[in-house]
Amino acid sequence: MSKKFRYFLLLAYCGIHGIFAQVAQDSLVIQSKLRFGNKPLELHTKYVAKSDTLEIESFKFYISNIKVQYDDKTIVKPKNNYHLVDIENPASLSIPIEKKQNKLIAKVTFDIGVDSISSVSGALGGDLDPAKGMYWAWQSGYINIKIEGKSNSCKTRKNQFHFHLGGYLKPNYALRKIEIPIQKNQNPNGEINIIVDLGHLFSEISLKETNSIMIPGKAAMEIADLSAKIFSVE
Amino acid sequence: MKKLIVSLVFGISIIGIYAFSKSQLTPIYFEVPKGWPKPHFDFKKNPLTEEGFQLGRKLFYDPILSRDNTISCASCHLQATGFTHVDHELSHGIDGKIGTRNSLVLINLAWSKDFMWDGGVNNLEVQPLNPITSPFEMDESLEHVVQKLQASPQYPALFQKAFGTATITGQYTLKALSQFMVMLISSNSKYDQVVRKEAHFSEQEQKGYELFKRHCASCHQEPLFTSDRFEYNGLSIDQSLNDFGRMKMTQRKEDSLRFKVPTLRNIQFTFPYMHDGRFKTLTEVIKHYNSLSKNRLLPKELGEPMNLSDADRVDLVAFLKTLTDIAFLYNPKYGYPK
Repeated sequence: MSKKFRYFLLLAYCGIHGIFAQVAQDSLVIQSKLRFGNKPLELHTKYVAKSDTLEIESFKFYISNIKVQYDDKTIVKPKNNYHLVDIENPASLSIPIEKKQNKLIAKVTFDIGVDSISSVSGALGGDLDPAKGMYWAWQSGYINIKIEGKSNSCKTRKNQFHFHLGGYLKPNYALRKIEIPIQKNQNPNGEINIIVDLGHLFSEISLKETNSIMIPGKAAMEIADLSAKIFSVE
Repeated sequence: MKKLIVSLVFGISIIGIYAFSKSQLTPIYFEVPKGWPKPHFDFKKNPLTEEGFQLGRKLFYDPILSRDNTISCASCHLQATGFTHVDHELSHGIDGKIGTRNSLVLINLAWSKDFMWDGGVNNLEVQPLNPITSPFEMDESLEHVVQKLQASPQYPALFQKAFGTATITGQYTLKALSQFMVMLISSNSKYDQVVRKEAHFSEQEQKGYELFKRHCASCHQEPLFTSDRFEYNGLSIDQSLNDFGRMKMTQRKEDSLRFKVPTLRNIQFTFPYMHDGRFKTLTEVIKHYNSLSKNRLLPKELGEPMNLSDADRVDLVAFLKTLTDIAFLYNPKYGYPK
């Protein structure tokens, strides 16, 4: 190995190291805070909703097309368009947007789900890799939100409930657009804390009646409407 | 300033490495047969290379894709019979389990817009997810397939060659498989040779061709011998399967009992016929179409009786056999990798 090349490697290493360290320190981060009512959401923990007692075994959803708008109308976006948020992968709860700016944030907009174009574009990578278990086989398209768990209210095998919400074709296009205005005191330390409250969703449905939605359609659209309301800012 | 230089040097070296790794690939030129329409497959998103094709071919023939490493794609898609499961009404997969449909052929897939009998799959690249995850076929998950491939002694190096990274992903696995499948082009049957003026139909074949053009070609359109659409062809429902076809995907009543119009290429060897394999011979198939009674659900193409004589039927079968492409069925390029 030549001296020059070794020097180059060292430089390259320092460069990368510096860049990453900077991202960690200085970026504006969208942080998903998973909750059930006023409690933090944890797997295999009993929660009481309006009419049911239940446990969550899996919770994943796609958040895409994130835009942060400042008071001066400038807009910033994260590098990647699609993020799979998974309760079992803590790193997925933080989405860095860009270098912090000394400006007030006016609002945050994002989509819950994957848009139609990506749903017909074949095998994609990163968080959209079908190996992530969020792509349907028998009928193409992404599962936007996956919620699985059990409750004695469900007269199903092992008392399980499954919500696989998706659908990219009209009239069953299950992606939902979310817009949240940000107040002055709502982004401390350059973090925007998005509360994702599953308690809100389960207070709107009865697991005895609704416990298995695995295909695009009217039922998925109704739950998608409800799940759009579980996002708010702390 | 120093930071800028570092970034520049780093960037240039990345481009250099990228260019170097790209130059190791052997591109494959996808040749569209003369007079054929433009393929539907997006080659820009998945450029064909010899390395990707060979990797896809190896995956296609490897039972590693199934839960217990017993079933490969080729278990139900055999080359010598047009890449379908010959002699089984309904195809069977893992643990001897029997599915609900007759496996489709894998021929000229680059020109297909939708896949499966019901068109549930919208892109060739994601089609393999179906057999991989079906509990009747391979009963696996793509995630686990990727883990198995990553742990295998040969695959990481093959992915490195094909995609420039030894880190295997679901995306690359699917892209490789589709590179193999999209190359399965059948365009050298006697019919094609006649079209190219390299051969002549016999008198009987010519008569059959005339009948074909009059009675069959509106759905089985030349040169692909399919319209790539979904149609109801007058088959009554099999009460043991209750398969309503396309309607399950679109939830539209008018799609009830509609199934994909399959290509007729290599039809001589792809028996049994129809989505549930109910007819064993081409004669039975033609008899079915020849005996359709008036039915308001039938598409207009099947509205008029065919009134074929026994002799016509024989001629039509003679023509259909000219769609056999031996060069395709025995092309060593598509066979089990040596």
